[in-house]
Amino acid sequence: MNALLILSALGIFALLTDILGLKKILFPASIVALIGAMVASGLEWGHHTSYFNGMMCTDNTAILYTELLLFAGLMWFLICGSSIREHQTEHYAILSFALAGAVVMVTFSNLVMLFLGIEILSISMYIMAGSQKDKYSSNEAALKYFLMGSFSTGFLLFGIALIYGCTGSFFTSGIAAAIQQPMTLPHGMLLAGVLLILTSLVFKIAGFPFHFWAPDVYQGAPDTITAFMASVVKIAATAAFFRLFSMAFGSMVQEWSFTLCLIAIGSMMIGNMGAVLQDNLKRMLAFSSVAHAGYMLIAIITLNKFSEAALLFYITAYTLATLASFAIIIRVGQENGNGDVSSLAGLGKRNPLAAATMTIAMLSLAGIPPLSGFFAKYFLFNAALQENYTWLVLAAVAGTLISVYYYFRVIHSMLILKGSEEKISNSPIQIIVMLVLSALLILLGIMPDLLLSRIGS
Amino acid sequence: MLTQYLFYFLSFLAIFSALLVVFSKNPVQSVLSLIVTFFAIAGHYVLLNAQFLAAVHVIVYAGAIMVLFLFVIMLLNLNEDSEPQKPGWIKFAATITGGLLMVVMIAALRSAAEMPAPQKVDASIGMIKNLGHVLFTDFALPFEISSLLFLVAMVGAVMLGKKEIHNP
Repeated sequence: MNALLILSALGIFALLTDILGLKKILFPASIVALIGAMVASGLEWGHHTSYFNGMMCTDNTAILYTELLLFAGLMWFLICGSSIREHQTEHYAILSFALAGAVVMVTFSNLVMLFLGIEILSISMYIMAGSQKDKYSSNEAALKYFLMGSFSTGFLLFGIALIYGCTGSFFTSGIAAAIQQPMTLPHGMLLAGVLLILTSLVFKIAGFPFHFWAPDVYQGAPDTITAFMASVVKIAATAAFFRLFSMAFGSMVQEWSFTLCLIAIGSMMIGNMGAVLQDNLKRMLAFSSVAHAGYMLIAIITLNKFSEAALLFYITAYTLATLASFAIIIRVGQENGNGDVSSLAGLGKRNPLAAATMTIAMLSLAGIPPLSGFFAKYFLFNAALQENYTWLVLAAVAGTLISVYYYFRVIHSMLILKGSEEKISNSPIQIIVMLVLSALLILLGIMPDLLLSRIGS
Repeated sequence: MLTQYLFYFLSFLAIFSALLVVFSKNPVQSVLSLIVTFFAIAGHYVLLNAQFLAAVHVIVYAGAIMVLFLFVIMLLNLNEDSEPQKPGWIKFAATITGGLLMVVMIAALRSAAEMPAPQKVDASIGMIKNLGHVLFTDFALPFEISSLLFLVAMVGAVMLGKKEIHNP
């Protein structure tokens, strides 16, 4: 709740800076506000408060996701804040509102709030994807994302309407209670509602077979916005998915788990195989994000006492690695703009720190042992094996093996291929961001308990 | 009894004009049939005792959105000849998916029909007074949060619509 208030205030402040002539302090103010929001939302730890007649509930999981979102937002502002020159105030305002929407998505306990959160986040993203107005690809990305996204929102609303029609409640707890009495509710309608909501949420996390927008939008949108989509939007959508399906539909898990299994396996296969074929870095990361959506779905399918912690850990590791890799993509993209894997050639000589950070990020995404990505996958697979989903784990491992190829291609391009010798310099902020992100990736790999012990309590 | 006849009449009108929207070749005709659909649905809202919803539905959909539709159609100068032809397999796939969704919805509604009728509900629940009460007490937070949504949309519209001044 505190985070929501601070983020909304930050957005309105950003809109006013143009009039008040405070544009100079916008960047530092945003950083301070985000840190303040992190502290303020940390203060709610352990209280398990529910606000406004149970519209949203800040339980410990919600706070952890909020902190993660705010951290991703903070890192995003540090990476991209200085590179946004056109429409600076609008960018800052829309992105702080988007973060507020994301916070609503991870703390909701009422379907109306879920809907509003998803809409605030999505509409901001549609606009931002098209923010490079003179670029054809950016316009295409915005239009594609908007048309398909509004269609999926229609599915979400229809699903919510059906769920409300048969359970008589918008509250996750009310829906769960109604499902416990199967005699008094129309089962077919409930299933149809769950299916429609599932469709829409799988679209939002870019899972197979609703992933077709992801490569085009990731590639077409400006680099900075793609970084935001791959981190904040992914966290919020996955967390909301887990929150809804564990809190409201948890007791009917065997009815939707098989559908979700097929979606997860499809995402892992299509994502990983699609990424192998890509030359464009952002397109490759889009397919990789489809694959990672598949891994995260495993946690939603298993729904046992390990899966919540495993999912949080997985999303954290994924976000850190994604942000780190986008920090480098944005930096390199400022120098030479084609965005292909080959544009990283010789980065090891041109900018050793960036190359090292990118290497760590890629290794973590591929799940190589000492890094956090390995333990993220390990905890996730462990949770799935507890529920005897051996075949799902086997498919996931097969997908991971494929993924090693394309992540190592990036490393190969940076460290072994010869490119231009011209050095790329780092600003102090970039050095700090790269160091922090790679340090966290290593630290969580060595001591995963730092995060995991929080969620058990 | 009258309500029942009215219900059947409105349902027939809504479905018939909705089919016209899809099947008519002329875009302007489609939009006009869509207006009829919206009015029929607004009639349903009145039957359900939700006057506020009916009024808003007419004002927003039949009023504002339809005018936008008509403007766009006129500005783009769409007519029968300029309607793009989709390849056959897309039409086939769309029919299959749409049909599947219809089967799911029919199954869903059938399961609802088999259920015992719900206990007597409060008939005044859709009245403006009750709606306002709920909106400003139980649903105060969503009500306020939706202002963020509109603000984002407005800022975005201004940003996308603003004319760029390029500094050389």
